[in-house]
Formats: sequence, structure tokens, C-alpha cells
Amino acid sequence: MRKLDVRGAKCPMPIVKAKKEIDQMKPGEQLEVVSTDPGSLPDFRGWAQTAKTAILKEQRTESDPGGQEIYIHILERK
Amino acid sequence: MTNPSDEITVEQLLARIDRQEPVLLLDVRNEEEYGQWKIEGRQPVASTHVPYFDFVEDEIAATAKVPPHDGELIVVCAKGGSSAMVAEILRGSGRPAKNLDGGMIAYGEYLQPVDVPLDGADTGRFRLWQINRRGKGCLSYVIVSAGEAAVIDPSRNISVYERIAAGDKARISRVLETHVHADHVSGGPQLAALHGATYAVDPGADFELKLRADPLGDGERIDLGHVTIEVLHTPGHTPGSTCYLVSGRYLISGDTVFTNSVGRPDLGGHAADWARLLYRTLSEKLRSLPPETRVLPAHYAGVSEIGPDGVVSARLGDLRARLPEFRASSEQDFVDAMVRSVRTPPESYASIIRTNLGAAHPEAARMTEWELGKNECAAHPQH
Repeated sequence: MRKLDVRGAKCPMPIVKAKKEIDQMKPGEQLEVVSTDPGSLPDFRGWAQTAKTAILKEQRTESDPGGQEIYIHILERK
Repeated sequence: MTNPSDEITVEQLLARIDRQEPVLLLDVRNEEEYGQWKIEGRQPVASTHVPYFDFVEDEIAATAKVPPHDGELIVVCAKGGSSAMVAEILRGSGRPAKNLDGGMIAYGEYLQPVDVPLDGADTGRFRLWQINRRGKGCLSYVIVSAGEAAVIDPSRNISVYERIAAGDKARISRVLETHVHADHVSGGPQLAALHGATYAVDPGADFELKLRADPLGDGERIDLGHVTIEVLHTPGHTPGSTCYLVSGRYLISGDTVFTNSVGRPDLGGHAADWARLLYRTLSEKLRSLPPETRVLPAHYAGVSEIGPDGVVSARLGDLRARLPEFRASSEQDFVDAMVRSVRTPPESYASIIRTNLGAAHPEAARMTEWELGKNECAAHPQH
């Protein structure tokens, strides 16, 4: 699975970068996006509703070793 | 790069809406955030919603969703980043658009000072400023007389209070809280420390204060220049709630009474006990004040409560006649009604209370996140 680290990036960058990455991938390939912005959860859900090239497969919240909350989005190229 | 003329500040935007200049707000946040909290002006404002990720996905299709409009197009998001991108896309397609600098966070933190017109006898003896935090519906106050200033219920961004005091050539000698706030982090301790002012907050029996404060007794009189401020203990919204009666006429009422409701008594988890205290405050202490007393609260729920002079206030006599909370048939009926109206407070309120008691010291970004959205301090937000 491809990985995209957008920790520290503020919106719109997580989605701008995820779309760029997804558009270069082959259908069926997956991308894991790691963000520190809690707003990325509803934003990725909203984007996935109209996205022509991406499907949102999964979202989860974890804590990194430093105790910082991170938000993980798994996308698949349509 | 962004050109300064492509940006508009919250102050400029609200001034335009209040003057009824045509503006279309394009809100580009996600649906959830847009549904919870929007920009309001004293005049109705045209607003439309197209999320920024629609522009990331397809610029042309998203641009086509923005309806034709009169006047200026202002793009709004949470922090001002996504809206700057969208405004640039729109300008690129020939639609002049400005970005709201700082987004909804700046809207929630913006403080608008309003000079309260005083009765004839008070004019020239002191000045009373109502500082309106428009995005949250929070009100704080500055009283200035003969080179001394008292600040009541300051927000975290204290520079506006310092500017007002400096403008009126006054030293901030007192910082007073009407109660331990739950909806916003107080700037009081910092403001008092920086200016060598005394700091007064009454935590009441149910809260433990972890910072230094000088308690004020019920009925105590504070002399500030040529004006007297009387301390009135008014338990109910919190057991330590206090009102300040300025020059015998202006009641800085905190969250005890608003212009369309009273303060909810359930934020400490003791709804019935605190409601009983509130009943006694409303039926005894606030009964004894003259009807022409001008109530200046710590919150309001809607822009319709802002008067033609820009001030949120009401005559106490009118409130006693109009608000159902003043007309309960018995103490028990009042308490029952209050307990029935209990609703879950925003998650952040417990953390904000801990911070205001001095028991927690969060970083600024945390506090900004906690303070998002309008206050929810009234027993019945809408009558």
C-alpha cells in the first residue's frame, strides 16, 4: 500500500495531496493517508462522496508514540 | 502569492453586513461544520455552501455551483486556508472573490467594542464599554472612570481591553468575573497579573479554585474613580455567580439573567440544587432592584437581541414581565421546569471550567478548539 504523510499539514493540503497521489495510481491500488487534523475525518468522507477516482475504504483514529492523535484514511483508486 | 486586497477581515465583513451592503458568503467547510455554526450579521446575509473538496475534485463543476449574486463574494472556511485556495480558483475563472482572513476561528475570536450610551446623570462620570464577541455571543465589559478601569468577564484575547483602557488613559486596577465560565477560557488571571490589578472570582462551594483571587462580599461597594460598583451575590447559574451593579443603574448580570432567558443551572451536575438557588435569586434579589435597572448580560443567543444602539441590554422590569422564569407559580415548579430542560452541554465545557479554576493549563490551540461554536449557557436558548 502507498503511504502519504500529511502530518502537520492544514486544509486543504491533505485532500489536495491525496487527490494528486490517487490520480497517479492504478485502479484497485490503495493509499494510506496519515493526518493530524481532526477535521480531515469529515472532509475525507465528504470528498469521497463525489470523488471520481477515489473510494474511501476505512478511517481510524490512533495515538502516535508521542501521544498525538493521528487520523488514518485508507483510499482505493477507482 | 496572496494580495492583501484579496482578503477581508472579520471586522470589515461584519461592518458590511451590518450596513446591509450586498455580500454573498460562500462557505466551503464540510456539511457538518456548516450546519453547526455560521456567520450572522445584524442584517440577514446571503449565504451558500460548496465544500472546498468539491473544488479540489473538479474546479469547473464546483465554480458552476456558486450562484450569481450582487456585491462581493466572500469565501469562508474554518481557518482561512481552504477558502484562500477557493477564492483564488474563483478569481482565476473571472469571478472576483475575497478570502475571510482567519476563517471561522477569527470570527469566533473577534471582539467588537460598543460604547454604551449612559443616562444623563452618569454621562461624563464614567464610560461603560460592552465588548461583543459576535461569533460566540459572549459579552464582556470595561468600566472607566477618572483614570481607573475595571474589566468584567474578559475573553482570552486581552489586547482589546488594554487598548480601550489606554485609549481612555486609564490603568486597569480591577478584573472581575461574574462566575467561573464554562463556554470560554477567561483572560482574567493573565490580564490582572500583567497590570497589577486585583482579580475577583467566586468559585462557590462546589468548585475548588487553584489560582489566587480576592473574594468580594455580598453588598460590598467598590469605588472606581467617580463611580461605585456594588457586588451582588446571585447564586443559581453557578453557586458563586455574582452581578455587579454599576452606579445603581446598570446591572452587569453575568449568566444570571439574559435578555431572552436565564442562565442554565445544570452545568455543574447539580441541576436541582442550583435551580433552587436561582429561583431565590430571581424571586428575591432581582425582585428588589428598580424596574428601570438596565440589564447587561454576559451572553446573547441571537443577533436580534442587539439593539439599534448596538448594545445587548434590557430593562429589568420588562424581563420580569416577559420571561417565564420570573413567573413560576412556586419554587418546586421552577425547579422541575429547569430539571426538565437539562440538555447535554458541549464536551469541552468541563475542560474549560477546569482551566478557569486554574487546575489545567492547556496550550492555546486546545483552547481555540474548545471555544468553537456559539455559547450554550441559557436555560432556554430560544423562547
